[in-house]
Amino acid sequence: MRIKEGFELRELCGEYIVIAHGEKNIDFSKIISLNESAALMWQTLCDKDFSADDMAEVLLSNYEVDRETALKDALHTMQEWKEIGLAE
Amino acid sequence: MTQSVKNVIYKALHLLFLPIRICYRKRNGTQTHATHKEIPNEILLGAVRDSIRQGYTATIMVKGWSMRPFLEHIRDKVQLDSPQNAQKYDAVLAEISLGKYVLHRIINIKHHPQDSNLDEITLMGDGNIRETEQCMRKDLCGIVTHYIRPNRIIPADKPQLTKSIILWNKLLPLRRYLLFIYRTII
Repeated sequence: MRIKEGFELRELCGEYIVIAHGEKNIDFSKIISLNESAALMWQTLCDKDFSADDMAEVLLSNYEVDRETALKDALHTMQEWKEIGLAE
Repeated sequence: MTQSVKNVIYKALHLLFLPIRICYRKRNGTQTHATHKEIPNEILLGAVRDSIRQGYTATIMVKGWSMRPFLEHIRDKVQLDSPQNAQKYDAVLAEISLGKYVLHRIINIKHHPQDSNLDEITLMGDGNIRETEQCMRKDLCGIVTHYIRPNRIIPADKPQLTKSIILWNKLLPLRRYLLFIYRTII
């Protein structure tokens, strides 16, 4: 899986939001809010091909969480990013 | 207490409790879901203003009914560009006080003899009957270049639209009744 081009993660006063970003226009009408851990996965894995295992590794190295929970969350996030069109 | 003081206190409290919120999230597992939530206008529209200053255009969703009948809450979007040449009857995004933004129409400009940034601008929502706002040209964040409806995009300089806007403003004494009729038919 890979994060699609044209999306940018920004931190605004502690909130992480993903904005559709064209060459000239930024679409603030379609904003997706990510929590801290999802934002961390985004920052670590953007511009790369990655799998659910890679996402889980990010969680394991930054949070006190067991592998099973991390993988479950990673798969859920992966599915969600695909459904809302952030990743392909 | 003035709005600007309230905004400063709100921002200070927000930053003060940020470490506690982060610790709480870490204790409660990873929960990586993307969520749908409202970003406060003062944060979002501040980012819109900054993006336009960097040379981008910005598309935002219209919130509120104060620009009826030309813009509808949630249904419509607008595209904004740099406001440097904003004139009377242009719809603009303006920061009228610290962190408080409005998307309203310019109904009067009092030009400053030396510095156009100090031009005094009077704004009014198309759907408002009396309320106006004052700001300076330097407080304008963006000018509406396109009205984006669900099925069509209307350039703000389209002659037919411009005529409708001028007529709407000339009919200000009747606006209350026209808005009442509009509300009953949509």
